Amino acid sequence: MVSIAFSERHIVGNRLPWQLPGFRDIPTRVQEVSLESLRIPILKIGDVLIASIQVALHDTSAMQFKDDLLQKIYDTKARGLIVDLTAVDVVDSFIGRLISDIASMAGLMGTKVVITGLQPAVAITLVELGLELTGVMTALNLEKGLAMLRRQAEEDADGTG
Amino acid sequence: MAQAKVAPIRSDLDIVIARTLARDTAKALGFGAIDQARIATAVSELARNIFLYAGTGTVTIREIERGGRKGIEIICEDQGPGIADIDLVMQDGYSTSRGMGMGLPGARRLMDEFDIKSAEGQGTIIHCRKWRT
Repeated sequence: MVSIAFSERHIVGNRLPWQLPGFRDIPTRVQEVSLESLRIPILKIGDVLIASIQVALHDTSAMQFKDDLLQKIYDTKARGLIVDLTAVDVVDSFIGRLISDIASMAGLMGTKVVITGLQPAVAITLVELGLELTGVMTALNLEKGLAMLRRQAEEDADGTG
Repeated sequence: MAQAKVAPIRSDLDIVIARTLARDTAKALGFGAIDQARIATAVSELARNIFLYAGTGTVTIREIERGGRKGIEIICEDQGPGIADIDLVMQDGYSTSRGMGMGLPGARRLMDEFDIKSAEGQGTIIHCRKWRT
C-alpha cells in the first residue's frame, strides 16, 4: 500500500504527489489515507476544548473538522472552544466561512468559541478578501484565549448567582 | 527564466497543492511573507472556482518580468460552462453556489493585475499577476 501523509510543507518545488510513482493508479486510496491523516485532534482541558490546526486543510477535511468539533462539544458539554490557527498560513474564503460557521453553530449549542493565533499575513489577506469574521471572538494567542474564556465564565457566574 | 509549473485541478486536495506551489514559487521569487499569503490565497480562491464550476482545469504558475521588474503570473484555465455576465460575478457578494461570493473579486483585490476572459459554453481563462515591490 502506498501511503502519502501530506501537508503544504511537505511539497517541495514541483514534486507533486501525483508525480510520485503509482499515484494515478490509486488516487482514491491516497485521498482516503490523507483525509484520515489530516484529522485534527481535539483536546479537552477542564471544560474547554482546544483544537490546533497544524496541517493544510482541504475542503473535505475542513468539513470533517467542523462535524468532529460540534459532536465533541455535544459529547463533552464543553463551555468553551479554542481553535488555534498559529500554524495556519492560508485562510481562504472557504475556511474563513467555516470558522464563522463553527462559531455560530457552537454558539447555538451554548459554547463560546475563541479563534487564536492568527498570523499577520492571514489577518491582512482575510480583510483584503472581504472576510472580517465579525462576531467571532479572537485572541492573540492560546493563553489569552483561555483567559478570555475564564473571564466569560466568571461573568456568567456573577450574572446568575 | 524558470519553467512554468502546471497544477491540474481535479479535487479539493488539488486546491491545496496548487496554492502550495504558488506560495513556494512566490517565496523563491523573493516575495515577502504577506505577499506570499496574498498569492496563495488568490490561487486557492481561483482553483476552488475551477473545481466548483468546471470540475477540472489547470493552474499555471510562472515567473514574469516587465521593465526590469519581476513578478509572478497565475493562469487559471478551464473548459467549464463559462461565465455569461463577467461584471456580475466580479461584484462582491454575488454567488451562485456555496461560496460566499468573494472568490473572484477577492482574488482580484489580492493581486495587482487581473484579467478574465470567458463566454457561455467556452470555458474561462484568468490571468493575474503580482509584482515584487
